[in-house]
Amino acid sequence: MDRFRTVALVVGLAVAITLALSIAPATSQAPKSGGILNVWHRENPPSLSIHEEGTISTVLPMSACYNNLVLFDPLKKQESEATIIPELAEKWSWQDGGRTLVFFLRKDVKWHDGQLFTSKDVKYTFDVVRAAPDAPAKLRVNPRKDWYANVVSIDAPDPYTVVFRLKRPQPSLLMMLASGYSPVYPSHVPPAEIRNRCVGTGPFKVKEYRQGEVLELAKNPDYFVKGRPYLDGIRYIIIKERGTAVAAIQAGRIDVGFPGEVSKAASESLKAAVPQLVVTPIGQNVNDNLIMNIKKPPFDNVKVRRAISLAVDRRAYIKAVHQGGALPGASMAPKPFGVWGLLEADLNKLPGYGDPAKDKAEARKLLTEVGFGPGKPLRVEMQTRAIAIYVDFSSFVIDQLKQVGVEAALKQIETGVWHPMVTRRDYLMGTNLTGIGPDDPDANFYENYRCGSPRNYTDYCSEQADAMMDRQSQELDPKKRLQLVWEVQRKLEEEAARPIMGWRVDYFTHWPHVKNLVPHQSIYNYWRMQEVWLDK
Amino acid sequence: MKTYIAQRLAIAVLTLFGMSIVIFVLMRLAPGDIVDILYEAGGYVDPVAKKELTKELGLDRPILAQYVSWLGDILQGNLGKSYRYDVPAWQIVKPRIPVTVELAVLSLLVAVLLGVPTGVVSAVRQDTTLDYVLRVISLAGLSMPSFWLGMVIILGLVAWAGWIPPMLYVPPTQDFKVHVLQFLLPALAVGYRSSALIMRITRSSVLEVMREDYIRTALAKGQRERVVIWRHALKNAILPIVTVIGIEFAFLIGGLVVTETVFNLPGVARYLVEAILWRDYPIVQNLVMFIAIVVILSNLFVDMLYGWLDPRVRYG
Repeated sequence: MDRFRTVALVVGLAVAITLALSIAPATSQAPKSGGILNVWHRENPPSLSIHEEGTISTVLPMSACYNNLVLFDPLKKQESEATIIPELAEKWSWQDGGRTLVFFLRKDVKWHDGQLFTSKDVKYTFDVVRAAPDAPAKLRVNPRKDWYANVVSIDAPDPYTVVFRLKRPQPSLLMMLASGYSPVYPSHVPPAEIRNRCVGTGPFKVKEYRQGEVLELAKNPDYFVKGRPYLDGIRYIIIKERGTAVAAIQAGRIDVGFPGEVSKAASESLKAAVPQLVVTPIGQNVNDNLIMNIKKPPFDNVKVRRAISLAVDRRAYIKAVHQGGALPGASMAPKPFGVWGLLEADLNKLPGYGDPAKDKAEARKLLTEVGFGPGKPLRVEMQTRAIAIYVDFSSFVIDQLKQVGVEAALKQIETGVWHPMVTRRDYLMGTNLTGIGPDDPDANFYENYRCGSPRNYTDYCSEQADAMMDRQSQELDPKKRLQLVWEVQRKLEEEAARPIMGWRVDYFTHWPHVKNLVPHQSIYNYWRMQEVWLDK
Repeated sequence: MKTYIAQRLAIAVLTLFGMSIVIFVLMRLAPGDIVDILYEAGGYVDPVAKKELTKELGLDRPILAQYVSWLGDILQGNLGKSYRYDVPAWQIVKPRIPVTVELAVLSLLVAVLLGVPTGVVSAVRQDTTLDYVLRVISLAGLSMPSFWLGMVIILGLVAWAGWIPPMLYVPPTQDFKVHVLQFLLPALAVGYRSSALIMRITRSSVLEVMREDYIRTALAKGQRERVVIWRHALKNAILPIVTVIGIEFAFLIGGLVVTETVFNLPGVARYLVEAILWRDYPIVQNLVMFIAIVVILSNLFVDMLYGWLDPRVRYG
């Protein structure tokens, strides 16, 4: 009996210890409240108004101050329609065959200044953003007006219901509303004030803003999600010099790096110096592309554009310019990070993605067909911004073009002049970077490839392509839509509308004590910080 | 003396007036303006909205009208509004001035404390090993840009000690020790470069004085070498050194851009570059005028100092 007791005791102890050990990691992973998170910010935000800016520099710090109607699940790495979760809206419903989107709002939400949040605020925000004729206010700069071109009206039948009425079905409207670019603004604060302060409903309030130095947020004690946020505050510390910022991460002065600013090489050296640092390779939803002015000869000829696209070996570009820190892809972000990217097999059939020798031979043939050759080379001026990443990109392309007999001369343009210049189409050929908010075809195609869009820098215009874009936009079946999106991408690349050179990969870096900060395939959409906590 | 100061101040006003024209015209000659850049940041251009914004900021008015209204505002003490931040320019500039002035003063202190003694020693021990070593060190200081040295200091610290100074400015009232640490490293980086210049001027100036008859006489009369050097030679050699120190201070006020950036200090110089890139005219114009005033006043101060250091100097 004694022996039995001893054995039972030993077994019991072993079970208890095993259980304790198995529970221990889970216990250590239970979120803890408190602490201040230090995040590197690369520059002073141009303003604090997300709706008036087109840069991550504003979205990143200000997202924690606001809420959207709906949001991409912050804990899921790959965004898609399936990962959209409610935020200010408790639920939503598509009606009238996809022509009406109804949101049912939470009733327990207050603005940071104590006023009650209602459907009036939602109507106000999106009427202002889409510049509705009867909008009560106007934005100084309105970069995403076109996202809502399909919205006919927004109604607020009662304080907690909002109805978006559309010209035609557009399932991707929900994707755009889930983006970090779509916060709801208070109807009682004018847009000019929002440029310098934040009156939001979000988990954090602005505590202090010292321009060029720090933007400090403090926990919103009245936040409508009970028990959130976990952090007491967040400091976005502005460090302009990249070398200093990387040193600050290494020294532990910074907990989280700025997305897209830690290069592959820097992340490798950081990891070597501090092995416990967490480095996550992830898409940025930013691509490098060639722009050719289609309104001007010789680029009005599709053969010339195609020859240029064929001349640039995409894989060599990624290796040489990005040291492998990018992915080949057409006009939508490629897999494994993106949802809509072409399959590898399809990509390899496109100009510039196949056998480089064969592609270059075809490029030379096409150029000969249109009258260019060794005796009469095509001479162009390649314009780009006077920033190192653009210049490196251009230098590589110039070298590739030389191999097919195109003589391109580099002209560097100051940043302040670049955008007005390409908007006026006052260029012949250039190298460009394009960032897209949510990983959705509507957010990309209509802005960058549609006939007449101001951001369609090449002025590529095809009725057929426009019709294909419309078709995919209103397709309610996701699988069918994906097929249509692939067709559009193939067409755009075949016609060299804006040849894509590669999709940048971010090496998102943070210390291991930062929990629940999950980078997504679009850098704009994971900065609410509601779920983030510090394990220290 | 009073007449001289009055004359100098009158010239200063004329200089500032000239400066105001130069900076105003130069800013407008640079391609692009704030409206272009705001739309660049926004990534979208609506020509009608852009035109309205140009009007709102007064940039559609003739250049002369813009200049007259800016000058009028300055004379009334109104520094205008930052185009970029939409807040009064003074609100942005005010907290940055003490940071830059403190860094410039500390750097100059480091430069003087390093440059003057080593210059004297180098002169007194001319053509000895010590002289050669000090000259090589000073030459290295002149050859190394201070921002590069700053970056080396930061990278060295993080590699060897796993530590760097805080990335956020800590005022002396909050934590004096941390504040000093924060300024000491950049002051050393900048001060080392300036000390090299001061050292070379001190050396050549002291060498010249050491060949004077009164120095030889003092030494021949049995005066101690230390007293002769520090009390007689240095005092007579000081004028060119003070001139260089004055020039260095004026240079430092506007020339700390990269050092402030590398050490992440929120000073005037760093902010000036940002404002230039954003074509934030009111901020750039006012900061340049501030720097011009500092340069003029420091030059005037140095000239006044001559009279105090050398009673033979007369103002007329």
